[in-house]
Amino acid sequence: MKKIAIVEDETAIRENYTEMLSTQGYQVVGFADRASAELAFNQSLPDLAIVDIGLGHEVDGGFLLCQTLRSLSKTLPIIFLTARDSEIDTVCGLRMGADDYLTKDISMAHLAARIGALFRRLDAFDQPADQTALLHRGPLKLDTQRMQVFWQEQLVDLTVTEFWMVHSLAQRPGHVKSRNELMSDAKIYVDDSTITSHVKRIRKKFIALDDAFDCIDTVYGMGYRWEQA
Amino acid sequence: MLRLGLRTKFIFLSCFLFLLPWLGYEYVWEMEKFLRQGQEKTLVGTTRALATALHERPALFDSQTNFLDQVVKGRDLYAYNLNNPIQLDGKLSEWQPYQSLFWHYDKRYLQGLNNDHQDSDLSFDHMVGKYENYLYAAFKVTDSSLVYRAKNVLSFTRNDHLQIMLKTPEGEFKRYVVAARQDGWVNAFDASTQEPVTKIQGYFKSTNAGYNIELRFPLSMLGNKLGFAIEDWDEGKAEPQLMSTSNLQNPNDIGSVLVPSPEINRILKGMGHSGSRIWVVDNHHRVLAQSGSIHHADGVWADGLKDAPATTWWQRFEQDYLHPLYYKILTRPENEFIDTLHDVAAMQGTHIASALNGKPASSWRLTPDNKAVILSAAYPIWIQDKVIGAVIAEETTNGVRTLRNKSLEKLFNVILAVMLVGTVTLFFFASRISSRIRRLRDNAEQAIDAQGRITGKITYADSNDEIGDLSRSFANIVSRLSGYTDYLENMSSRLSHELRTPVAVVRSSLENLQMQPQSELSQKYLDRASEGVERLGKIITTMSEATRLEQSIQSAEAEEFDLTKVITGCMQGYQITYGESLFTLSLCKEPLNVSGAPEFIAQLLDKLINNALEFKTPQSTISVSLIKQEQHALLKISNQGPLLPDGLVEHIFDSMVSVRSQQHQQQPHLGLGLYIVRLICDYHHGKVAAENLDDGTGVVFTVELPIK
Repeated sequence: MKKIAIVEDETAIRENYTEMLSTQGYQVVGFADRASAELAFNQSLPDLAIVDIGLGHEVDGGFLLCQTLRSLSKTLPIIFLTARDSEIDTVCGLRMGADDYLTKDISMAHLAARIGALFRRLDAFDQPADQTALLHRGPLKLDTQRMQVFWQEQLVDLTVTEFWMVHSLAQRPGHVKSRNELMSDAKIYVDDSTITSHVKRIRKKFIALDDAFDCIDTVYGMGYRWEQA
Repeated sequence: MLRLGLRTKFIFLSCFLFLLPWLGYEYVWEMEKFLRQGQEKTLVGTTRALATALHERPALFDSQTNFLDQVVKGRDLYAYNLNNPIQLDGKLSEWQPYQSLFWHYDKRYLQGLNNDHQDSDLSFDHMVGKYENYLYAAFKVTDSSLVYRAKNVLSFTRNDHLQIMLKTPEGEFKRYVVAARQDGWVNAFDASTQEPVTKIQGYFKSTNAGYNIELRFPLSMLGNKLGFAIEDWDEGKAEPQLMSTSNLQNPNDIGSVLVPSPEINRILKGMGHSGSRIWVVDNHHRVLAQSGSIHHADGVWADGLKDAPATTWWQRFEQDYLHPLYYKILTRPENEFIDTLHDVAAMQGTHIASALNGKPASSWRLTPDNKAVILSAAYPIWIQDKVIGAVIAEETTNGVRTLRNKSLEKLFNVILAVMLVGTVTLFFFASRISSRIRRLRDNAEQAIDAQGRITGKITYADSNDEIGDLSRSFANIVSRLSGYTDYLENMSSRLSHELRTPVAVVRSSLENLQMQPQSELSQKYLDRASEGVERLGKIITTMSEATRLEQSIQSAEAEEFDLTKVITGCMQGYQITYGESLFTLSLCKEPLNVSGAPEFIAQLLDKLINNALEFKTPQSTISVSLIKQEQHALLKISNQGPLLPDGLVEHIFDSMVSVRSQQHQQQPHLGLGLYIVRLICDYHHGKVAAENLDDGTGVVFTVELPIK
């Protein structure tokens, strides 16, 4: 049974999530502040940590906790689930090594799906690559099972949300995906500019590996499309 | 309404400085009045001092004619002071300057009545004068027939002759006769002894009308009485005619003679250095002595004020430029003026009359040519309670006027300097103040834009005065205002942040509840609650959209892109989404390069098109046009529909402002769409404006972006 830790200072939310995830068959532990969470993590690590950024009186308690967790384990999946949706916070959270950054208006079903996907990715690492799960688009290679993206045989470090967006675009090259379509494919509900900034971040990650990358094309007023090189 | 700046007002006010010269002038004028009074007193003092020297000295006046009660012109003679020596030649040319002083004797002076007497029969012009120690007399006799003294006749009275009667200083009466045998030198004879008197010399010269006689005798011979008579003998007439200045038959009737007194003159000489012209007159107004010239009598006031030649550059500047200016107003006292009292024998005037009545007095008079004012003062001379004469002193006011002019020159110099420095100082002061205030005004105007947003800070001055205070309080106000505006603008983002957690509580609770088996009724309520939470979530997302946009604008890097391409692309998208017939397009074909972020432009267009779609009347189209105007790209989106309310045109682009009427309110709306449009425009250094169409059928939004 997978063990999930929820660090959240709002009792109602913590307990709601705990109950919901328990019914999904996870073993869930809730912590109300950073100190108790760190104490428990030092003894044993969970399989997944869902962390709020503002913890009690610590405004950035979640960030600190994330750093502690990363020092304990390089691979432990961490999801930020927070009310803070500013660009800076998102970038900060992802830079610290979180696997996803979700805002609290996400529905429980989406959260459950996201958690399931993350566990699936973890499990997939242990299994041999399934050729049918691979998607080839020129230099791009998508492993839908492990949720990994390779560009020119190099791994592109994408979050789950980003992976789903690339997947959505690359599935049908040349077709325009509107922002709404991208949103539903990535299983998030956000505003248009968040999608724009997600796309920007994806581009940056590819360009970090290859200066000449320009496969994601903006179609003004409509959306984005994967331009086959 | 005429607008007067601070500087103009200051300059206007500084005009009051020009009152200074007027005040100074008035002051100096008053001073001049005092000086004149002072001069008057000094002059009276001078006359009193001299009169004091002459009081109670009957000896000085004894020989004079003061004992007479009245003086008759013609009978009582006055020996004028002659300025030139007289050559005894019978030509009378030396007497020419004194022509006006000659007295004409006609039949009124005839001894014995003769009604038939003609002037051509006998008459004469005569005057006496004094030069050095001699008394001179001139006679211009008109006589129809001249009878010389016969050559071998001892008698000198049976021919035309001149009789002289005088009283010696010793009180003895003497009579002399001058009779000529021919033209030339003549001597007098004592009438009683018939001895020639060589002290009396004369010259006889016949003329066409008669003859001239000039003669002189020493003053020492003469007392205070003198009379002349001409006896005319004519051929064929038995009786000679006698015409005389006074009756010579009776010593008591002899007329007096007044010779300017050398003694008094000596005393006067002593006073001659007083800088005044001084006269001593007897109680018949006749001048006994005179000293000084009026042309040099300007009092003691201007001593030491003579113009020295300019040596320094300042003095030269003063003389060359300032003085000509000053003397346009001032009058320079003239030294050349007409003096009517030059060489007069008798002086008239109220002050003299008053002095001879025993009261010192002074008077002012203008010279006939109006060039100078002459002040004269008179003081009585007393001998035993009787006024026997008066001392008169005269001065021009030129000294005072020179003094006044000098002080006015100095005053004008100072005033000119004060005015110059004052005006310049005031001008710079005013300029400085007005420039500081103008800077503050510009600052304040730049700090807040037309929509009332804070766009900058006021740099406040350190100066420790009211304007500094004002600028500091302005800066304070603006910074407080900007804090408040920030608070308002961040309201939505903070609200969305704060609301998100309770919404998550409700949502997660509802979702948990959904997993439980529900009755039909509670399921219905659960669905409604979920729907409500869904809407709340949407509102929160919209609210955070603006905030996120602001953040991403801050971090966005500007790139150059083709505006035409972006807008054309977007419009194609809208045409696909909403149907082609909904839009009327007029897009420019040439590329318009704009620096910024194309996604933002797409977002801007999104908001504007959404807005137009929302408000447009059914069946109408939305017209979109893009043109290039000078260095700007002009994007216009207009739709038919309700007009903008008057008061809101300025504020329609502000956060949380919506003009939707109730029927447009099915969707949650926070009035952030146009706020986002404005943010994007600001990021691109452009402008956005909303106006009602000229024909009143709808609304047009104009976006103006600078192109590269």
